[in-house]
Amino acid sequence: MASSTFLIAIVAIPFIASLLAAILPQSARNAEAWLSAAVAIFGLAVTIWLYPQVTDGGVLREEISWIPELGLNLVFRIDGFAWLFCLLITGVGLLVVLYARYYMSPKDPVPRFFAFFLAFMGSMLGVVLSGNIVQLVIFWELTSITSFLLIGYWFHLAQARDGARMALTVTGLGGLGLLLGMLIIGHIVGSYDLDVVLASGDLIKSHPLYIPALLLVLLGALTKSAQFPFQFWLPHAMAAPTPVSAYLHSATMVKAGVFLLVRFWPVMAGTDAWFWIVTFAGLTTLMLGAYIAIFQTDLKGLLAYSTISHLGLITTLLGMSSPLAAVAAIFHIANHATFKASLFMAAGIIDHETGTRDIRKLSGLFRFMPFTATLAMVASAAMAGVPLLNGFLSKEMFFTETALRDANPFVNLALPIGATVAGMFSVVYSLRFVHGVFFGPAPTELDRVPHEPPALMRRPIEILVLLCLLVGIIPGITIAPFLAAAVVSVVGPDTPYYSLSVWHGFNIPLAMSFIALVGGALLYLALYNYLNRGIEGPPLIRHLKGQRIFERVLVTISWKWAKALEKLLGTRRLQPQLALLVTLAVIAAFIPLLAGVGPLAASPTPFDPAFALVWAVGIACAIVATYQAKFHRLVALVLLGGAGLMTCITFVWFSAPDLAVTQLLVEIVTTVLILLGLRWLPKRVEFHTEDGLSRKARFRRVRDLALAIVAGCGMALMSYAIMTRPAGQGIGDFFLENSYKLGGGTNVVNVMLVDFRGFDTLGEITVLGIVALTVFALLRRFRPASDSVEKPEQQRIQNAFDDQRPDRNSGDTINEYLMIPAVIMQWLFPVIIVLALHVFLRGHDQPGGGFAAGIIMSVAFILQYMAGGTRWVEERLRILPVIWIGSGLLLALLTGLGSWLFGYPFMTTAFQYAEIPFIGRVPMATALLFDLGVFNLVVGATVLILIALAHQSVRAPRVSRRPPPVVREEAPPSPEEIR
Amino acid sequence: MELILAIAIGVLTTCGVWLLLRPRTFQVIVGLSLISYAVNLFIFGMGRLRIDAAPVVEGGVIDPANYTDPVPQALVLTAIVIGFAMTALFLVVLLAARGFTGTDHVDGRER
Amino acid sequence: MHMLTDHLVILPILLPLATGAILLFLDDRLRPVKAAINFASTLLLVVLAALLVRHAAEAGQADAVGNATYPLGNWPVPFGIVLVADRLSALLVLLTSILGLCALAFSLARWHAVGPSFHSLFQFLLMGLCGAFLTGDLFNLFVFFEVLLAASYGLALHGSGSARVRAGLHYIAINLAASSLFLIGAALIYGVVGTLNMADIAARVANVADADRGLLEAGAGILGIAFLVKAGMWPLGFWLPNTYAAASAPVAALFAIMTKVGIYAVLRLSLLVFGDEAGASAGFGHAFLLYGGMATIAYGAIGALASQSTARLSGNLVLVSSGTLLAAIGFGNAGVVSGALFYLVSSTLAISALFLLVELVERIRIEGADILAVTMEAYGDDEEEDEEQEVGVIIPGALAVLGISFAICALVLSGLPPLSGFLAKFAMISPMLNPEGLATVNEVSPSAWWLAGLLIFSGFAALIALTRTGINTFWATIAEGPAAVRVIEIVPVIVLLGLCVAMVVLAGPIMTYLEAAATALHAPAGYIADVLAAPVVVDMGAAP
Repeated sequence: MASSTFLIAIVAIPFIASLLAAILPQSARNAEAWLSAAVAIFGLAVTIWLYPQVTDGGVLREEISWIPELGLNLVFRIDGFAWLFCLLITGVGLLVVLYARYYMSPKDPVPRFFAFFLAFMGSMLGVVLSGNIVQLVIFWELTSITSFLLIGYWFHLAQARDGARMALTVTGLGGLGLLLGMLIIGHIVGSYDLDVVLASGDLIKSHPLYIPALLLVLLGALTKSAQFPFQFWLPHAMAAPTPVSAYLHSATMVKAGVFLLVRFWPVMAGTDAWFWIVTFAGLTTLMLGAYIAIFQTDLKGLLAYSTISHLGLITTLLGMSSPLAAVAAIFHIANHATFKASLFMAAGIIDHETGTRDIRKLSGLFRFMPFTATLAMVASAAMAGVPLLNGFLSKEMFFTETALRDANPFVNLALPIGATVAGMFSVVYSLRFVHGVFFGPAPTELDRVPHEPPALMRRPIEILVLLCLLVGIIPGITIAPFLAAAVVSVVGPDTPYYSLSVWHGFNIPLAMSFIALVGGALLYLALYNYLNRGIEGPPLIRHLKGQRIFERVLVTISWKWAKALEKLLGTRRLQPQLALLVTLAVIAAFIPLLAGVGPLAASPTPFDPAFALVWAVGIACAIVATYQAKFHRLVALVLLGGAGLMTCITFVWFSAPDLAVTQLLVEIVTTVLILLGLRWLPKRVEFHTEDGLSRKARFRRVRDLALAIVAGCGMALMSYAIMTRPAGQGIGDFFLENSYKLGGGTNVVNVMLVDFRGFDTLGEITVLGIVALTVFALLRRFRPASDSVEKPEQQRIQNAFDDQRPDRNSGDTINEYLMIPAVIMQWLFPVIIVLALHVFLRGHDQPGGGFAAGIIMSVAFILQYMAGGTRWVEERLRILPVIWIGSGLLLALLTGLGSWLFGYPFMTTAFQYAEIPFIGRVPMATALLFDLGVFNLVVGATVLILIALAHQSVRAPRVSRRPPPVVREEAPPSPEEIR
Repeated sequence: MELILAIAIGVLTTCGVWLLLRPRTFQVIVGLSLISYAVNLFIFGMGRLRIDAAPVVEGGVIDPANYTDPVPQALVLTAIVIGFAMTALFLVVLLAARGFTGTDHVDGRER
Repeated sequence: MHMLTDHLVILPILLPLATGAILLFLDDRLRPVKAAINFASTLLLVVLAALLVRHAAEAGQADAVGNATYPLGNWPVPFGIVLVADRLSALLVLLTSILGLCALAFSLARWHAVGPSFHSLFQFLLMGLCGAFLTGDLFNLFVFFEVLLAASYGLALHGSGSARVRAGLHYIAINLAASSLFLIGAALIYGVVGTLNMADIAARVANVADADRGLLEAGAGILGIAFLVKAGMWPLGFWLPNTYAAASAPVAALFAIMTKVGIYAVLRLSLLVFGDEAGASAGFGHAFLLYGGMATIAYGAIGALASQSTARLSGNLVLVSSGTLLAAIGFGNAGVVSGALFYLVSSTLAISALFLLVELVERIRIEGADILAVTMEAYGDDEEEDEEQEVGVIIPGALAVLGISFAICALVLSGLPPLSGFLAKFAMISPMLNPEGLATVNEVSPSAWWLAGLLIFSGFAALIALTRTGINTFWATIAEGPAAVRVIEIVPVIVLLGLCVAMVVLAGPIMTYLEAAATALHAPAGYIADVLAAPVVVDMGAAP
């Protein structure tokens, strides 16, 4: 097994283990801990085992093909620098696991904790081992997500939720920026492969897109490493359990930002833009963090701000973009991880033992927990940069770099002074941590007596502190080789000489360290009383709370502005939406038309006054109907029918008998439908308030009218233009020529409907069926408005009349009313059915067909309803509309399927003629069967709609504010009744 | 003749659109019906206007020049049927809306 | 030839039709039987769709298989109606069937019982969708649009109630107007080129007389508006969030594909009819799509941020996804479109799952948590909880599953790694910046920057909105007792999201398929040739 495949293993195994951890029982603390420890040990072992292959610039890579089309393959790649990070991640990870085992309460649901923890470890390893920059972004965002889950682990605490969300929002934003930055770099370089990118530094720096790419990459790095101005999220992430803080916020996740800076240091550093942005951000963070840390009252808060400041130190070093500065940065990354992790753990132990992290309540703990105290003191000494500890060495290097002469006088002054001041501050807060917690009188405000934690819980700290000492005293034989390997992989083979020795003689850096230490001690004394007063927050910028600002901004933009914009750009009312729809359609039509509609010819067909008269009437009907539609619905409905009639006449006129027939029949049924519906609409009395019309309303009317007129003109123009132009060679002739020969019918339109384009008809009848079902479903839940439930006036009068007469019972008059027409209509029933049959059979050759016949048939039914009333009809003939619909569809479908048996496609027809007495020679085309299906469905659908609507008049109101009507109402129809 | 029909289509569309933009559901349904007339005539017109050329052929050899284009007629037939179905549906929905909201305003509440 | 392979192309239309019709004969009291039949049929549909995809994947490869065509009534193209199943159509049919199956399973828990003939309407909707995706005839497309719209009206109103009826009224009114536009546009196009078959139209567009070109393009423009209404492009899509939010959960989940029908029509016709071969009309309307799409993304993102109820939030995310697709189409680059297709599948699956989740979440969440979600951060909740004992809360199993599912939805929809949403965004943006391919030196157009920026922004907006809802649902307001969720309700969600995960693992082969699809769309000559040469069955002497 190639050693490179182990690279995949150390990334993959944590994720697998994470899934495993998630499904373990809640109580399995030890199992969880063992599992996680095993994963960490494995990772550590592999890392150490791989060491020989990454020394002096060696690179080990493994590639898996994923989406080669997009240049995105999974590439795992390790070099000296990545190796150092692997060591940190797995090593510190192992210690944190051990620590967490004792830290987490037995009542905590640890499976969730360790599952997230392992997933995070995997993501972090993925970041440092990615050999493809897009893949790097993927793991980068994964660390954001998993850390979000870890911070929000105690999600019942409000500050955990807020902290988690803030961390995700800030780092997520950075991640998106990073993605875009990486895509730009990929665009510049022409590949997403890290090795290719690292090989083309000059190309990147010289490219016009360098600045945007840089800004976006920095956005990612600075947010992740909590650098100014994004530093505010980290302190609120302290709501996480302490092991998480010890791992994520000291050793690993926040280091991902500086990792990125180092990773891209060779190809992006060295320009002015880089220097100014990165150094400025770093130096600001360095001093700001240190300053705020002094005045923290929460131990973890203090450590968080010190972390921010130390990351600022690293960033500053990278900003200077000199090789030696890079060396110092890498060195400090490792050192900071060791002492800060141990300090977080110590803080956790104190919290664990005393129940609080508030410095104001803590003091004199030395006598209770001497070991822990000692360890914490050594670690904080390292943090303060005391000689003989690792912190001192990297800080010395930092001072050395800042003290170098630089062209720019401002930089010359700012850097060293800033560095020294920050050093002083770090001494102050380290002193405060040690002195405030471990010395002084015994604590009074504690609810329990603190004592040493279990030895194993302390073990991780001991190991880390030991490392601090070893690196601090004998760097040459401890860290040097590993550091060298890391440095070479970043700075390149020609790395300038650097010395890790503790003593460099008396020089400026030493002086700066001395000033920082002494000055810091004095400053602490000066501030002592102020600090003991225990005032929250630092002076001067106390009221500048990053969190509050962030949340205010977030709410303002993501809520208040969004709401306003949505109101501005959208609407929930129908009229504006329809107006927009029409407007856009008009625009879409007129842009090309204005571009060129071509010449308009005169009308080919001769003018005929009679036709003009027809449409004079039609237009009059339309306009009056429009005018009356609001106040006189019945008038409008009748005139609407008038316009429809003129349409029919037009069809007859221009040789379209089928259309005329169909249009006429549909006209009738539609009118009946709307008539049935009218009763349920509210009464509207005409009121003349034209003068009282508001300006807004008047404007709206003018606008709508203009829109309507423009639309009308457009339609007129387009239709005229087409109608006056000769038709090109269309597909129409084919149908005329083959209708009889191949379709077996002389009525071409009907043949098209049932044969050439029968599939359209199949869909069309499906629509009709669906609508019928929908109408039925909707009307079953129909609830008339309270003001339209009472019986129509005429009925009331007639019933009143009956009630007065002793010899009549209520309702008689209604039954006698229209008696003669009723009888006639009942007699008409068979006649109409025969008519329907006739229209159906001749359809294939003459105007007519299944649809027309179906409508006629349903008219026959509805006439019976009109004549005899709902009850009377349903007592006599039981129509099952839904069955009609279903059978119609199936018949049509099966007819179409028939052709399969003969190996032809769906709906291939066969036909021959047959003599039928009295009717004559009718085509027995399979299309006829299909048309029969159409007929059935149309009957079923139309009748279902009509009946469902008609039934409403006999149903009782569901809710009615009035007293129930005196007349006994009939029960609403059950679905079975309709069916 | 084409001019007359074109004007007719235009007027029907104008009335239809105007009603479509009105606030009362009944106005909207009348508007939709008018628009569907206009659209049907429009489609029909796409086959050009012919008098006494109904696409009902006799057997034997056929000269397409003697007949009007049947395709638009087939399309219009389908359009009529679907239009009928949709009108019915919309009618019932507006009745239901009126029942639920108590008003016949398209937004379900008077403004 | 085998009957199945012979008629495979039409089966996705006929099967739902038959099922829907048969279900009409069963009384509502036999609901379990109806459910069983419906489920079996939908399952079969998934299988058929999968076969169709496999068949389409072979098209245009070494053995030179053309796109599968099916001449109805055995009439030669362009006179009869023809069905065409190229890669795009097949893929969308498969997506439809999968969504259908999941939505159906979910509805069996309770929704299918709240109104009559749910199952038939459901099948008819599937029929309409499959038909719209498969037909190669412009007017037949209209018919299938009406079929799926009619069914969608029925389903949107399923369960009745004031909110649904009011939303339905708007939905229907707007779509009726849009249908009229469809007819006008289609008629105009016929009036100019004298044919209805899409491929035939495309073939004839190039040599339309200049005098008539204005009319042709007017028709196309009107037609386009009709499609864009369905796709929900700004400012035509305001009806969408209300309608989807009002619809019952399974229906809304199935509606996630409905906007994609509009997208499909635009994609198909704009690239087929106005592709590079279209002579003077080439590229008609592409710029409009680009900017309209970008406006839609922005509006959808804003709406997502501004929406309090999770249902409206999901509705607005539908707008974002539509806008993204429209803009990608308008960008006019095969690479971008192939990425967009990946996005289409991924976002549709995730949104569908989200709509299902919304209902389950509503059950467990404490009343008014939606409003809390915002007000809590608006006015801050400074409850001092420092002294609370730091022990985590144990999550009940069902709640955990819901939480994880919601998290996955959030990741996919906000385009965060490692799920399909991220890959989709990457697959779109990378070709935007490198239209000529990564390896060569590329010029980046300004619109590419804007679009890429918008995609990132919309993702971030979705992240903010979804974390806000998620945190306040699953963390801030913990419901008492275990969540009342039935297995048949959660399994569909898991399946949908599982597919999103699978898309990550199988991203390679999927992208290969999609790139082939996109390339074919941008070089319509092959499609046109295949369709116009669609073979009809010559008389095999079997006819009576």
